[in-house]
Amino acid sequence: MAAKKAGPGSLKLSAVLDLNEASVLHGKLMSMRGSDLVIDASGVERVGVQCAQVLVAGVMAWKEDKKSFLVEKASDAFQKTMQLIGIDTDNLIAKEI
Amino acid sequence: MKKKVLTVDDSRTIRNMLLVTLNNAGFETIQAEDGVEGLEVLEDANPDVIVTDINMPRLDGFGFIEGVRRNEKYRAVPILVLTTESDQEKKNRARQAGATGWIVKPFDPAKLIDAIERVTA
Amino acid sequence: MDMNEIKEIFFQECEEQLAELESGLLKLNDGDRDPETVNAVFRAVHSIKGGAGAFGLDDLVSFAHVFETTLDCVRSGKLEPGQDVLKVMLKSADVLADLVSASRDGGSVDESRTRGLVKELEALANGELPSASGHEAPKPAAKAASAAPQEETPKPTDESGFQPIPFSFDGFDDEEPVFEGSIYEVTFKPRRELYSKGNEAALLLRDLSRIGEMSIACDMDELPALDKMDPEASYFSWKISLKTNKGEDDIRTVFEFAEWDCDLEVKLAEEASTDEELPMIPVPFDLSILDDASAAEEEDKAVEPSAVEETAAAAVSAAKVATGIVKAADAAARVAEKKDAASSAAAAAQNNAAAAAAAAGQTIRVDLDRVDRLINLVGELVINQAMLSQSVIENDTNGTSSINMGLEELQQLTREIQDSVMAIRAQPVKPVFQRMSRIVREVADMVGKQIRLVTEGENTEVDKTVIDKLAEPLTHMIRNAVDHGIETPEKREAAGKNPEGTVKLSAKHRSGRILIELQDDGAGINRERVRQKAIDNDLIAADANLSDDEIDNLIFMPGFSTADKISDISGRGVGMDVVKRSIQALGGRISISSRPGHGSTFTMSLPLTLAVLDGMVVTVAGQTLVVPLTAIVETLQPEASAIHSFGANQRLISIRNSFCPLVDVGRILNFRAIQANPVDGVALLVESEGGGQRALMVDAIQGQRQVVIKSLEANYTHVPGIAAATILGDGRVALILDVDAVVAASRGQSLKPEMALKPEMSLAATG
Repeated sequence: MAAKKAGPGSLKLSAVLDLNEASVLHGKLMSMRGSDLVIDASGVERVGVQCAQVLVAGVMAWKEDKKSFLVEKASDAFQKTMQLIGIDTDNLIAKEI
Repeated sequence: MKKKVLTVDDSRTIRNMLLVTLNNAGFETIQAEDGVEGLEVLEDANPDVIVTDINMPRLDGFGFIEGVRRNEKYRAVPILVLTTESDQEKKNRARQAGATGWIVKPFDPAKLIDAIERVTA
Repeated sequence: MDMNEIKEIFFQECEEQLAELESGLLKLNDGDRDPETVNAVFRAVHSIKGGAGAFGLDDLVSFAHVFETTLDCVRSGKLEPGQDVLKVMLKSADVLADLVSASRDGGSVDESRTRGLVKELEALANGELPSASGHEAPKPAAKAASAAPQEETPKPTDESGFQPIPFSFDGFDDEEPVFEGSIYEVTFKPRRELYSKGNEAALLLRDLSRIGEMSIACDMDELPALDKMDPEASYFSWKISLKTNKGEDDIRTVFEFAEWDCDLEVKLAEEASTDEELPMIPVPFDLSILDDASAAEEEDKAVEPSAVEETAAAAVSAAKVATGIVKAADAAARVAEKKDAASSAAAAAQNNAAAAAAAAGQTIRVDLDRVDRLINLVGELVINQAMLSQSVIENDTNGTSSINMGLEELQQLTREIQDSVMAIRAQPVKPVFQRMSRIVREVADMVGKQIRLVTEGENTEVDKTVIDKLAEPLTHMIRNAVDHGIETPEKREAAGKNPEGTVKLSAKHRSGRILIELQDDGAGINRERVRQKAIDNDLIAADANLSDDEIDNLIFMPGFSTADKISDISGRGVGMDVVKRSIQALGGRISISSRPGHGSTFTMSLPLTLAVLDGMVVTVAGQTLVVPLTAIVETLQPEASAIHSFGANQRLISIRNSFCPLVDVGRILNFRAIQANPVDGVALLVESEGGGQRALMVDAIQGQRQVVIKSLEANYTHVPGIAAATILGDGRVALILDVDAVVAASRGQSLKPEMALKPEMSLAATG
């Protein structure tokens, strides 16, 4: 990614992160690369694994870009599901592996 | 919020049993009598989960499931097949068509609810 | 709605499915090979089975299952539905109907018949041709017919037996030994299809967490870079350590819906320690292997429980997955709760959906009592309206007035309401006709004849009461036609006829009535024998001069039976006179015409409704009577020159060069002792069921009107010669004349006094 300087972006996650949302979320992240990003997960009610995959891939990409990728205001549902599927909610990386 | 269940079955008996069972369990229930009607009401019903019979006139369960899976908006909705067919071939066909799971009739209300809980958040 | 109501619905639905089944089978029998016909037949049985299962009607389920299995062979083209096959199927449909009735009303079914058919059906399903001999089916068929009481998880009864298996792998859960706090290692790798079929790995993991204490490690190695990834593909997989007192099977049950679309491995942890280096191999789904394995494991455990636990603990730490033990049950529950409230738009959408569903249904079901109440009320309304009209006319000396116009409109409206309400009760005769085809089959079987029933106009509609009451006389007539009407195949062949006889049942509307014809192509009425029998039974004088029609109609006389021996089928002392009486009780007429060697035709003419009647109001000996308009051909004022007397007190009237017996209604009904002078009265020319005409003498005609029929039997008692009663506009009760009975009574005078009224019964009811 071109390292053009830009202000931090922010992304509010949809309430339902299901199969349909995975492609949408993927598209949004792709378009926001290159800047620091704050993810607002406060309104999330349901998380499917495919969206989790996209988010984790996002974390990797931002790390590669040396930009910050921050999850803020994670809803209960978001935290619980992430925990359930073995992903650390704070930094969206796999725990203990 | 109540979960919404769309049931598709041509048997009045089964429709009523589903209705009673689901309503008692606190679900909102929308009912259709065959696959064609099921696809027609899909948009308005906006279900969280679908329970469908296999043997139905006009459009059977296989066709209905395929129809739902082709629908951009509802392709991810879990579909439980409600049928007396216990043989593997029918189950497989239903799965190939895109069924999420199945409930073998005669259904036990507790198991019906359990199956729905299993495939919904 | 409670379960009893649903059960009632189920039985209603069974009736419909049985009708569907039978008509479908009959279509197949006629060579129809439309796949949709086969499907409909299959669905009917399937649907009955499904509902029956829900109510634990095991006998019904077992039989339906065997039937369905055979039908499935037809559906898949494995079994050609030839005549022999369909014969078995039709009989099976009959047994299924019996089982439904038995399930509803208690009662029992012919078990040996059921067993026999189960055997035959199974033989068909196994590709064996139907055989008349006592061929042994490979398995005792009785087993399926009297299947063991349904358990939570029914076991297969035999290779073709019934095996509904709720949720489980093949009925396996029960035997699964229980482990106390074992640790399992589960590896779970979903494929893309798992998600596209609506399953969700997160939910599966949630459910897994609910059966024990779970620690989980997510394997993300396969996740590509963001720009390379397919958002809908499956990249994550998991290693889970689960401490549970449940068995391996419970773990697998969690993945039941997903097992095709994932790689799943479930191992006891100590195995995991030894097999750790092996690549993931999906556990084969041969359950017997699992069975052995778990049994063996239990043995191990029983021997050295502490050792197992130690090993397990070691395995867990070795696998380094024992982190972040998730109290996932809590978590998941909260996730479920957190689903936010729906917008009001969603609620509106729901309403739309309900409306759409309602629009799709073309009919509603209404409790018959409600319809009857409505009909009764409308009947009262009609009477009330008539009374109102009458009192207005009586009090209105100014001739026309706006009140009169309003009343006319009211009258028309009332009439329309009445017609519409009557239409609610109208039903096609189809169900009755369909029942008859079973009777034909059974009786033909019993007497060794080949007979096909052809039905016509089965969608003709008539009042439900008429339909209900039609079944019995029709059954009797059908039995008669099969037993006596149609000849044996040998006789038919000898006579140059098709060995297969035909019975045709048809219905049609004709001038405000329903006409039902039952026609057979048998030998016809043996008039010599009928005549002789009538003479022997003292029904007619030996020298009576009767037309062919009149001889044929003798069979309707009480105490007449032509069968040489009383057979099981149509004997039992019930004759055609009973049939005739039931038809008459419905306000109907019945007649027979017969051609020797070509068969007989019974014709029944019935009112479309039992609630109203178009009648001519007449006066007889000071009494007001109503004569059904349908019976009247014409009315005439007799001239003295047209009246001819003969015999003691018989009189004829000549009408356009033909003679017609004159019947004094007042005399027949014992309203008066002496015959009235015909010239002072009016003659109503009526057609009797034999086709002959009679002139009924009444004193005067008051007018024509529609009257609401009130049953005399229900309110008083049956009065011979009187069909029913009604209330006229002025509030008077008038009796409705039973024309056929009166005509018969008059004939009785010349033949035998069959219907003479006893004086004490005659007028008590006229009130």
